Amino acid sequence: MILDPELELHPQKLIANRKRKADKFNLYKAIFLDIFFVFYFILVVQRAIYYKFILNLSDLPFSWNEILSIFIGSVVIGTFWALSKTSLSCKLLGIAKDNKTTKWTVEIFGWSLFNITFIAGWIVTKISIVGLFSSEGIAGAERLFGAMFTPQFRIFDDALFAMIETIYIALIATLISIPPTLVLSFFTARNLMKDNKISFAVYYVLRIILNFIRSIEPLIWAIIFSVWVGIGPFAGMIALLVHTIASNAKLYSEAIEGIEQGPVEAISATGANKIQVVWHGVVPQIVLPFLSFTIYRWDINVRMATIIGLVGGGGIGTMLMQYQGLARWHEVGLIIIMIAFVVWIMDYVSAKIREAIY
Amino acid sequence: MLLEIQNLHKIYNNGTHALKGISFGVNEGEFLVVIGLSGSGKSTLLRCINRLIEPTSGTVRFLGKDITHIKGEELRKIKAQIGMVFQQFNLIKRRSVLSNVLNGKLGSLSTFDTILEKYSDEVYKEAYKCLETVGISEKAKVRADSLSGGQQQRVAIARSLMQSPKLLLADEPVASLDPATSNSVMQYFEKVNKEFGTTVICNLHFLSLVRRYATRVIALKAGEIIYQGAPSDINETWFRTIYGEEAEEVEIR
Ligand SMILES: Nc1ncnc2c1ncn2[C@@H]1O[C@H](COP(=O)(O)OP(=O)(O)OP(=O)(O)O)[C@@H](O)[C@H]1O
Ligand SMILES: [Mg+2]
Repeated sequence: MILDPELELHPQKLIANRKRKADKFNLYKAIFLDIFFVFYFILVVQRAIYYKFILNLSDLPFSWNEILSIFIGSVVIGTFWALSKTSLSCKLLGIAKDNKTTKWTVEIFGWSLFNITFIAGWIVTKISIVGLFSSEGIAGAERLFGAMFTPQFRIFDDALFAMIETIYIALIATLISIPPTLVLSFFTARNLMKDNKISFAVYYVLRIILNFIRSIEPLIWAIIFSVWVGIGPFAGMIALLVHTIASNAKLYSEAIEGIEQGPVEAISATGANKIQVVWHGVVPQIVLPFLSFTIYRWDINVRMATIIGLVGGGGIGTMLMQYQGLARWHEVGLIIIMIAFVVWIMDYVSAKIREAIY
Repeated sequence: MLLEIQNLHKIYNNGTHALKGISFGVNEGEFLVVIGLSGSGKSTLLRCINRLIEPTSGTVRFLGKDITHIKGEELRKIKAQIGMVFQQFNLIKRRSVLSNVLNGKLGSLSTFDTILEKYSDEVYKEAYKCLETVGISEKAKVRADSLSGGQQQRVAIARSLMQSPKLLLADEPVASLDPATSNSVMQYFEKVNKEFGTTVICNLHFLSLVRRYATRVIALKAGEIIYQGAPSDINETWFRTIYGEEAEEVEIR
């Protein structure tokens, strides 16, 4: 059989082209990464290690000109390094030459990068073994712990009420999150959205938005919402809700991406439309993981609701903050014991329920 | 002619040229078996027929209609008329046997009703009848994954019977079953073929099964048809051409 020459050539050529493009793109990435590595390296060595540690300056000299010249230097070094294909980034992106130079630069530079980061971290954190074990410090800690271990039960009623508030804040945030999370998770599952351009664009944009929301901690959301709707349980609940939707949408959509494709294919082979395929092929495979994630999330939300209370999100956290501000350590002790107890129970119960469903 | 395939090519995105100009026709009522080594393109061929994948070039005609590149609603209508059974059964494991069988009807019911699982009495009756055809109606209410492999495959056959298919495709339906079960499952395909006159195209590995069930055989090698004819005509020489010089025939009873 004589084949259309296009047909015979096309795919191989296509693949070669794609590879060439990918390599070129990787080289650009490598250049940027290398510039960043060099810039970071010089800055850390100069500022954290030389100025701060060796010269022991308390006020670091700062000038934009200096930073700029370091940056330009890094651009030059990084670019040439990446172009020579012997740099760390080239190795990371799999486009490095396979020779001795590469091996040496990667090993030496990689190690130095790691070490200076560790050293700089140590200096910046002001790690002080002396501070941790000074007799003065230990005495303070003893006083505090002593007070906590003799909790003040007079405030038990109030604390219990606040605790219940916290649990309900977490519960409501989790429950309300379910419908929007479900909808979002279908739109952010790659395997359902990749088929056409428009749906893929929707997938992409939603992913970015959700990633952004998730990257902001619930604590920060609580601060934002306590300004928006006023300090109190409602602000805490919305903060948790927003973060729960964003995080669970990711977990759910990953569960959707991980389902067995065979049954889905079998159902689409019966002539079912997209909605039917999702409802009868995808959904039955994910209800249990979804349930399990959601219960686990309630458990997490109880813990987070406590923390959120610290910035005015209501519940036990807010109460803890008040007594801590007054330095009434016996009351603080009671609150902490109650939190620990509830968290432990929640942890246990949610684990048991999740075990039971599977 | 029920199905007509002309000069069919399939090139996957990664460049694999899986089908290289396949042409053949299938008449109504035939039991056509496709054989060939692993990777010869058998699954690709079946998937091009019910359009789970789109052929690169050539034509597929089903009931006289060119379905090679159709899309959307038109494609779903065609898919609804072609049943498919897979090697891995592909049932929804956590659902009951009955709801798996009902899934076969999705293509011809309204989306709204199927989402609420509102099926008419006739549809339920039909589902039980399909289950009876494969002799498993007493298991209607149990979870699909509690059945044995052979039973699951029979449920999968029942699911495709729900489509009242003009054509039934089977991609190595017995490859993950033991020999005795293989034979019993194959007998249900035979029954469907003989009793309902449903045309069957089936990929198989074992020649003894081929000889027993096929009315006609097509052998693929590296994406091309190298043999076409009666199963009884596959002699030693043909066998070695199809499966390679090293091959030796295994009996399965
Ligand atoms: N989705 C895919 N993408 C790329 N290549 C594929 C894909 N599916 C199959 N192929 C390739 O196409 C060729 C034919 O595959 P096919 O699955 O049709 O063979 P088969 O005869 O069914 O084999 P088996 O007996 O193993 O099922 C093989 O080389 C395979 O690697
Ligand atoms: Mg196959």
